[in-house]
Amino acid sequence: MTILSSSSPSKQSVSESAFDLDSLFEFSTVVNASLDIKFIFNHFLLTLMGKLLSLRGIVLLERKPNVFRVENVKGLSTDLLEKEFKFKTIPKRHIYLNREDHCKMPWLKYFKSWGIQLIIPLISQDHIVGLAGFLPNTSKKRLSEKKTTYIKSISNIAAVAIEKGLFIAELAQVNRQLDRKIQELNTLFELGKEFNAVLDPDRLVKLLIFSVMGQIGVNRYAICFVKDGKMNVVSAKLDRKINDDLCLYFPTISAPLLVDESTHKKDLRWQKQLHNIGIRALIPLQLQNQTKGLLALGEKLNGEAYSKKDLEFLSSLGNLALISLENARLFREAIEKQRLEDELLIAKEIQKGLLPAALPAIPNFEIAASNISSKQVGGDYYDVINLSPQHFVIAIGDVSGKGTPASLLMANLQATIRALVPLGLSLSELTKRVNNLINENTTSGRFITFFWGILHSDTKILKYVNAGHNPPFLIHLDGRIERLDKGGIILGIMKTIVPYIEGEVILEKGDVLVCFTDGVSEAMNAVNEELGEDRIREITESVMMEPAHIILSKIVDAVKEHSKDTSQSDDITLVVLKSVA
Amino acid sequence: MSSFRIDIREMQNINVLDLKGYLDAHTAPDLEKVFQNLMEVKKFNIVVNCKDLNYISSAGLGVFMAYIEDVRKNNGDIKLSNMSPKVYNIFDLLGFPLLYDITSDEADAIKKFTASRK
Repeated sequence: MTILSSSSPSKQSVSESAFDLDSLFEFSTVVNASLDIKFIFNHFLLTLMGKLLSLRGIVLLERKPNVFRVENVKGLSTDLLEKEFKFKTIPKRHIYLNREDHCKMPWLKYFKSWGIQLIIPLISQDHIVGLAGFLPNTSKKRLSEKKTTYIKSISNIAAVAIEKGLFIAELAQVNRQLDRKIQELNTLFELGKEFNAVLDPDRLVKLLIFSVMGQIGVNRYAICFVKDGKMNVVSAKLDRKINDDLCLYFPTISAPLLVDESTHKKDLRWQKQLHNIGIRALIPLQLQNQTKGLLALGEKLNGEAYSKKDLEFLSSLGNLALISLENARLFREAIEKQRLEDELLIAKEIQKGLLPAALPAIPNFEIAASNISSKQVGGDYYDVINLSPQHFVIAIGDVSGKGTPASLLMANLQATIRALVPLGLSLSELTKRVNNLINENTTSGRFITFFWGILHSDTKILKYVNAGHNPPFLIHLDGRIERLDKGGIILGIMKTIVPYIEGEVILEKGDVLVCFTDGVSEAMNAVNEELGEDRIREITESVMMEPAHIILSKIVDAVKEHSKDTSQSDDITLVVLKSVA
Repeated sequence: MSSFRIDIREMQNINVLDLKGYLDAHTAPDLEKVFQNLMEVKKFNIVVNCKDLNYISSAGLGVFMAYIEDVRKNNGDIKLSNMSPKVYNIFDLLGFPLLYDITSDEADAIKKFTASRK
């Protein structure tokens, strides 16, 4: 309406103004309704080309500071699309090429080469967001003021719409990145939960593979874990096998790496080989900064390169899986350990059951015995058997080794002795048979040191055979000391060839016999010193007048005192016999 | 505990899998088993109807990745249909529309199989 009332306008100019306004309004409505900047570029170019009767049109957008990218062209080669140009010192007004000083704006040469004459800046909020170029089909050297205003208006509307479009595109991009991040976190969270619930390593590895394939979009992979300083492939889907050389290289990888991009000398050596197998990315699986495994992945099926974010995600996922695998392993180990401990406990119970629950009373004698087993099941053995009212067997032995095998062999020894003793054979003959039986029943390397004797409680004569055992002390009241060392070879090493020699001693009133295993004499203190056999003798001598059970407990006390700061590593077994009449 | 169910229908030598519920790390092995069975009996024309699929995690997507090559090598395909926008968004985020034929309707997927057979 204002145009109509302006001073003496020609009829044509009035209707042109009305048309311009209509067109401006329409343009504004259309471009502002669209969030698609490609559409805005197109509409903008077409509108102005129509107005200017231009045969050519180009629009560029400032994508980075001073870098302009061709977004749309009309009447020009489409090769120009997406090309980037560096433009500096752009004025905030339109430029007519044939009248401008090219020296000040060297970038104008591009427009000249495209055959563009009119260059219009796209201005939003007082800064240039892009440039448009046209070749107006006009004979006039300059545009009318009205046309200039119109073009300015259209350009500004377009600039605002473009900026809005760009902003929204960026927002959409950020939103998508956020969605993707959330999805990644969901994956990690979900797998963290699932991994912890799964103890079967095969299933765990499978879940890891599925998740990697789904998340990254690959279907060529290998998963390796370190064993003895070398990588072992536990699961793979590759066109060619991973050879041993690569398995030695893999543990040296300490950070995710893209096979084709690494410039490290140590990586370059393997680049070609890895590439040929189809591996593009290597992701170490680490526990406390140590590479314990490796994820090797092929090309992404969409052809895209691995991004830094991909590698970060894969590292997180891989390490999560590794921790879970480690936990599962520890859990299995704990169960296994528990099982072994239960087994040992049973073995211990069996062993305890084999030792005499109560000692028979021996006329004219006092007898005391003790077995303190170490944490592990040992193979110490002692026995006192009442053969007849006057005959008593006293035995002590030490089976080599520890644990269940030792206690089984000890059970074997006990059964053999109990079976053979009633036959009424000589000790030498009995020992020969015991040795032969044990020898047949043991695997190589196992043996028993063994001492036993038959005591006649009236004559006080002790006949004995020592098969490689620590010789017991016989301490006489008059101060004489005997070591009972007659006998023969250790039980269980070979069949009896040389007969066992029998020894014979008499225990007069007040004499004390001390039988012990090496757990007593070799008890260690904190600085690895043995108690020693002499100490056993000294202690016994110092308490000779005490009853047998006191003598025994004094020796036990000495052992405990000696090794108080260490853990008991061997069984402690003692038998003390004292003649009292 | 998440629930997941797979029903299988066979029509015109095309196997349609109806997925229901949550396809995640916990349930992915179930889907794998179904694919394994289909491979064993040499059924390579597969439509996965996702109408009642509430959620899919990357472990679930990984199962599709693991089998697509075998299926296509045997001139078959795994086509996906009837996805809810939520499920489609996950497929889209991970770039699956580029790799898989996803149709809005099961009938379209079946049509594509029968058309390519002629």
